[in-house]
Amino acid sequence: MTSPPPLHPKSSSPSSLNLQPTRNATAKMANSVLLQDPIANPYNFTFSDFPEDVQLCVLSFLTPSEITSFSCTSKRYASLCRDDAKLWFSMCHRRWGSKTQITRWGKGEIQFKFLYKTLNRWESLIGFWRRSGNAHTIAAASSPPPPPLVFFEWGSSFVTGSKVSPSKMGTCEVIKKPFIWMSVSSKGELVSFIDPECQFGLIRDFVEVAELGVGVRDSDLIPVSVSFMGKNHFVVEESKSFLSSSSPEEKFYRKSSNFGNGEDDLGGEEGIGIEGTSPGSLSGSLRSEIYQYFANRRSPGGDRASRRQRRRERERLGRQKWEPEHFVKIVNCAPTASRPLQGLWKGICEDMSLDFYLVVYDGIGGIACRRVGDSSEPFSGYSPVFWTSNTTSSEFPSSCEEEDIYESRIHLRPPAIEENMEGYPIHAENEVVLRIMNINSSYDLVILDFKDSAVNPRLVEGRIWQYADGTFGFGFLRNNYIIDLKHMARDGCLLDAVEYCCDGGPH
Amino acid sequence: MSTKKITLLSSDREQFIVDEAVAIQSQTIKNLIEDTVPDEDGIPLPVVHSRILAKVTEYLTKHANYKPHNDAAKEELKNWDVKFLGKLDNNTLFDLILAANYLDIKGLLDLTCQAVADLMKGMSVEEVRKLFNIENDFTPEEEEAVRKENQWAFD
Repeated sequence: MTSPPPLHPKSSSPSSLNLQPTRNATAKMANSVLLQDPIANPYNFTFSDFPEDVQLCVLSFLTPSEITSFSCTSKRYASLCRDDAKLWFSMCHRRWGSKTQITRWGKGEIQFKFLYKTLNRWESLIGFWRRSGNAHTIAAASSPPPPPLVFFEWGSSFVTGSKVSPSKMGTCEVIKKPFIWMSVSSKGELVSFIDPECQFGLIRDFVEVAELGVGVRDSDLIPVSVSFMGKNHFVVEESKSFLSSSSPEEKFYRKSSNFGNGEDDLGGEEGIGIEGTSPGSLSGSLRSEIYQYFANRRSPGGDRASRRQRRRERERLGRQKWEPEHFVKIVNCAPTASRPLQGLWKGICEDMSLDFYLVVYDGIGGIACRRVGDSSEPFSGYSPVFWTSNTTSSEFPSSCEEEDIYESRIHLRPPAIEENMEGYPIHAENEVVLRIMNINSSYDLVILDFKDSAVNPRLVEGRIWQYADGTFGFGFLRNNYIIDLKHMARDGCLLDAVEYCCDGGPH
Repeated sequence: MSTKKITLLSSDREQFIVDEAVAIQSQTIKNLIEDTVPDEDGIPLPVVHSRILAKVTEYLTKHANYKPHNDAAKEELKNWDVKFLGKLDNNTLFDLILAANYLDIKGLLDLTCQAVADLMKGMSVEEVRKLFNIENDFTPEEEEAVRKENQWAFD
């Protein structure tokens, strides 16, 4: 209990009262003198009138460069700004204290100023990323694997990224497999591991192994370095020094300064198995293209155990276990007041399985929606799910006809719902439609439409129905259903996320 | 229980009558209610002037039991906070910080400290000194050395 300054219930004698009126009097006198200067402080209030914790509270709202300015004001404050445990702890705590446990990073043995720098950078990881494909590699392959979506979130003393994929169970659940773990060692080094095969179904298990460092060598964790190229692009590379170093202690905590040749991008785990027969002299990008080719001709998945076996063999030969991978941030992944449809969504699509969608505003009044996985490059020739050049919406229903269009359609529902997922909210058929918008399903048909007006607009025309809860559904005149889209994440948390233990499990 | 009234007594003996739920957002007042025999005139707060206590109770009344459940309500409260701060001159702001600290009202302390930090944004070193009456005890060389030492190259 924090007890207030000495107070007595009976202390109502005038002598124990107030400092304020005296100060006010000074203020009034000083005011006339200093009136012309708006910054000048009229009654000689000084920063040191604040108790130290209040000073720190004020400073914690400043940016590092503003702290630099403040440190130049006087010796006293230069010394306060040097106080790592006070100032830089407050700075870290203010910015990330509600998201992570500041004092647990680096086992509490690292400088908070260093932690501030690290988190200042890593903060931009939080959210959704997708692996960036090499455009022509993907075009060359007949059916490219969808680029994995990775979701980064805060942990107690680390940041984790998990591969996120739609559940195949016919529900709205999203499967989350921990993939990368990033933290700071007690010696103040950045430590990151990836689990390329997502062997740990649970973030907790991954964290345990990665944090202890014990078992890292037996597990399939690969030490990596994460290099940022701007805020919205990073590369994950194997820490090369890890392989060449002999002392295990050093191996876990070595930073790599190597940058990859940037172009390599394997199509997925499948690519790994082929590397044993690698033609050594080929250039990185050509090699990866060949891998991509073979990778996609193989049936996906393969046998985990044998893949691991092959990888072990490669390891013995001193080969790389991990090719650099590039990730690009999905910057506008959530709706805003002015862009209510923007971002990542999920919905049960025609074949009754869950799919992810990304709606992008083009900046000139239009939107386009694509399945995530269609392409890594926007507008690269893959046709959108829907698009419009005009996002003007009107109130619903604008006419009986429009009401009919909506009412006559059925909402696609997760088929598994009836078999009852425990606690799963059965949605009632009572979305309240607030507004409607016209959309088209394809670019091509519209162009045709210009040439040949005989093409039935019903082939491409569709509607978006915006619901009162901020979500929306869409459908086309050519069929009779509505695909309802739901949020993927809210307040930094993945919705309906399922972590699970893979077959085999960690060893 | 929640409609029980509490009388707060400012340093200049002005009475402020508020709901208990409003008053106990201040940890200090909460402790005083629990630990002391109330003065018949009210709970004395001998370092808070009525001019400041009026502001404090205005803030507390707005924030009492206010749990915004949607974005619009959050936005409304935020706008209210901005307007509340907008009406304060610097002296009142500084006094309000001291009062929020003494009364242990975290929300108000953060709000007002942020307001002071916002005042400092974009100010030169000399302007910050003027704002807080900080005496410059550096030689120009020393000041430059400190600037270099604290240089932040990571934004």
